[in-house]
Parts: sequence; structure tokens; C-alpha cells
Amino acid sequence: MSRGSDLTIGFALVVIIIINIAMGCGVSNAAAQTDKYPKMAPIDQYLMERNAEIQLARSAAPDSISRDATILVLGRQGYETAVEGKNGFACMVNRSWTAALDWPEFWNPKVRAAHCLNPQAARSILPVDVLRSRMVMAGRSKAEILSAIKAGFENKQLPDLESGAMDYMMSKSAYLTDEDGHNAPHLMFFTAGVEAKDWGSNTAGSPVMSAPYWFFSSQEPSQMRGLPPVLVFLVGVADWSDGTPAGKHND
Amino acid sequence: MRKKKVGAIALKSLALLVVHGTVHLGASNRAMAQDATTPSTTAAYAKMAPIDQYLMTDQSAEIALARSAAPESIARDAEVQVLGRHGFETAVKGTNGFVCIVARGWTSAADADFWDPKVRAPMCFNAAAAHSYLLRLAKETEWGLAGRTQAQMTESIKAAIAKKESAAMEPGAMCYMLSKQGYGCDSSPHWPPRLMFFYSDTDPAIWGANLPGSPVTGMSDPVEHLTSFVIQVQRWSDGTEGPLKP
Repeated sequence: MSRGSDLTIGFALVVIIIINIAMGCGVSNAAAQTDKYPKMAPIDQYLMERNAEIQLARSAAPDSISRDATILVLGRQGYETAVEGKNGFACMVNRSWTAALDWPEFWNPKVRAAHCLNPQAARSILPVDVLRSRMVMAGRSKAEILSAIKAGFENKQLPDLESGAMDYMMSKSAYLTDEDGHNAPHLMFFTAGVEAKDWGSNTAGSPVMSAPYWFFSSQEPSQMRGLPPVLVFLVGVADWSDGTPAGKHND
Repeated sequence: MRKKKVGAIALKSLALLVVHGTVHLGASNRAMAQDATTPSTTAAYAKMAPIDQYLMTDQSAEIALARSAAPESIARDAEVQVLGRHGFETAVKGTNGFVCIVARGWTSAADADFWDPKVRAPMCFNAAAAHSYLLRLAKETEWGLAGRTQAQMTESIKAAIAKKESAAMEPGAMCYMLSKQGYGCDSSPHWPPRLMFFYSDTDPAIWGANLPGSPVTGMSDPVEHLTSFVIQVQRWSDGTEGPLKP
């Protein structure tokens, strides 16, 4: 199989899972996985050796970006700064609970989603990840996390999404999902007030995919009350952060 | 070895944007690029050719070429504009907010291909870009067809920006350039498939553009207050595999 085909399939396997769930197409699979991860695993299963976590976080972006980035690692009380950066980017290894709240793998302890947020995302998306993680590590439930996020926006403790917010997810060592492929290098763009069709995403042949940030399912729109609408666009790229071609990763 | 290759690819990628800034660079980049243009190549297209050479006689062919910039799922419902003697004209009304055109050389940097009548750059803009970026491009096209020189066009753009007659980029403005047809420029006739994103007054560094290993290329134009980002993608609009790298 050609390199491009490998990449396309790999990326699609990861992202289509998201899209399918978002569109209500992955119901049976989602249900099965909900049973697989019904609650939080013991905390130790989510933690990593500190230096390994720093290295994994940095691998989300090319060295030219991540070497000067702030690095956060997960501790028992939540994320903490391990390395102070100077270029405005922030790299960290997200755990499963920073994904959509109705994701079937929300408690999957294997997830290691390394990403490097640009300055706009570091200022506006990162605080949400940090809040969620602090709540999780304190043993709070999903409902409590959701309430805290809504309160954070209502009280202006959480910032509005900044224009141009995006992140790099190009680590070949990341683990994004149990689904086939597990991983694919891509860029993500966080947008407000934009619909999927505005970028031509999720249409046949389009290299752009998208999914809602808070909940994949739109079956219970009442859950969205108090949350700013955020749509995430994904564009696959050819290489991992170390410059190796993505198509060869799973060979 | 691989490192070397990646470095070379990154440089080529940036060079491609600079040299073939056709559709994404504005007036000031014209001026900057002009300085870097070798006199011999500039001489090849020193002035505008007869208008007929820029026009496509077969309107259906121009519509098809414009549509080839995006996957059929997008292009089939897009508005299509074709080049007439005074500017771009709507040939097909759309329903999805996208607008597809075939850009010509004068919307580019003031490089050797500025007046190259062979340039054909298919682009499909989303609605946000159609309301902002495309309006600028259309105005520049009108000026070019009216016989203004490069220098006059640059001055006109500056004036329009100063008078706020030229709209800022709308949030989310982007376009598809996935056509395997078209003609980029003499030094690189066939561009790789790519997406472009347009911002006003934005530092390319915010997306980590132009750094070694970054898949993002960016150019900032301080006079037009325009920043363009380019991300190469894997496939042409027809679904076939694109080139490995630019």
C-alpha cells in the first residue's frame, strides 16, 4: 500500500471514530466501549514517569516548536508546570477525560494524547483542560466537572476562545484511542461561531474533518447550556514530529 | 539523511509560497518580491500581455477548472466565477457559500510570473474568505484588466487599506487549492494540494509556521495586514494521491 494511502487510512480510522460518534453512527461500538470504561481507573494508571511525560509532551510538535514551549505534567492534584517556556506554546499529555464528555473512552487509562497548544490555545483551551484534570484527580464525577466548567464560564474564570487557537498532535508515541490505528499526525483548530459546513468539513473527499468540542452527541442539547459552542477542525499531515513519514508508523 | 531531506522540504515549501504567492500575497509582498526577481525572468513578462491571452475561450472549461480546486462534494454547490474582460463574473450561482475561481498571475507576488498569461490557479473560497479575501482579489483583477501597472496596483491597494475600503479577513476565512490541473508558474507549474487560511494582522509564529519540521507555512504582509497560512494535504480534489512533498 502506498504511503499516502496508509496515512489516509490511519488518520481516518482515528478521526472517523470521532465523527461517527458525533453523527450518531457509532452507537453499538460506543455502547460496547462505555461498558469497557464505565468509571475512573485507579489514579496510578493515568500517571507517568515525569521525564517520560515531558518527552512525550514535547514529541507532539517539531523540536523547533516544543523545545521552547512550557511543559505541563500530570500530578496527583492535576497538571503542574514542569518546564517554563518562552515561545508561548504549551505542551502536555492529555488524558482521556479532556476529550468530549460523552466519549466512550472518557475513562480509558491508556490514552496519552500529546499535544502542543499555540499561544492562543494555551490561554483559552488549556485552562479548561487544567480545570477538568484537577476535578478528576480530586475524584469528582462527570456531572460535577461539567458544572464546574459551566460555572467557570459564567464567572469569567474561564476565558473565551481566542481566534487562531490551534494545536499540534504529531507525536508518533501518542495513544489517542483503542480503535484501529490508535494515532495519526494532525493539526487541530479550535473555532467559535463556525459550523462544519463553513470549512467544507466531513464531506466526501474533504481533507478537513470536524467534531464538537464538548459533546459528540447532540441528543441532549440541554447539556450544552452554559457552554460556549466550540467546533474542532482536524487536518491530517504527512509526517510525525520527528520528520518520519506517518504511513510507516504501523508497518 | 532524513533530517537533510526534511530540511530541504521545509525550505522548498517556504520557497514555493514565496515564489508562487500567487493568490495569497498582497501589494507589499509584490514590492518585496519584485526586488528579488531576476531581471532576465522579469523581462519575459515585463508587462501585461494582450487580454485575450488571460481569458479562457471555453467558459465550460474554466468552470470545470475552477471547480477542480475542491472536492466535488463542495464544488458542485459552489458559486463559480469566470474571468471576463473587466473582471470576474458569476457564471454559476451557488448554494453552499463557497466561491470557486481560476486566479491569474497578477494576483500574485510581483515575481516573474506576475503578467504570465499561462498562470491558472484554481481556488475555492469558503464564505468567510469570499466576503473578505476574494473581494480584494477581484478588485485587483479589475485594476489589472483596466491596464494599471504593478506599481499602480500596489498604490491602489495601499490606498484602499488606508481608507478602509478593503475589508479585514473574516474569522475562519480559508480556501481549497486541490486541483491537479492549473498552472502555477514557470518554475513550478504544478503545485501540491493545499489548504489556505487567511487572517488579518496575525504573526505567522502563532501557528509555529516556517519552523523546521512544521507542516505550516506562513507569510505576513504588513501593508495589507494580511497573514496567509498554507497546509499541504495528501490528496487532489479527485481523490488521487498528491505528490509526497512540494
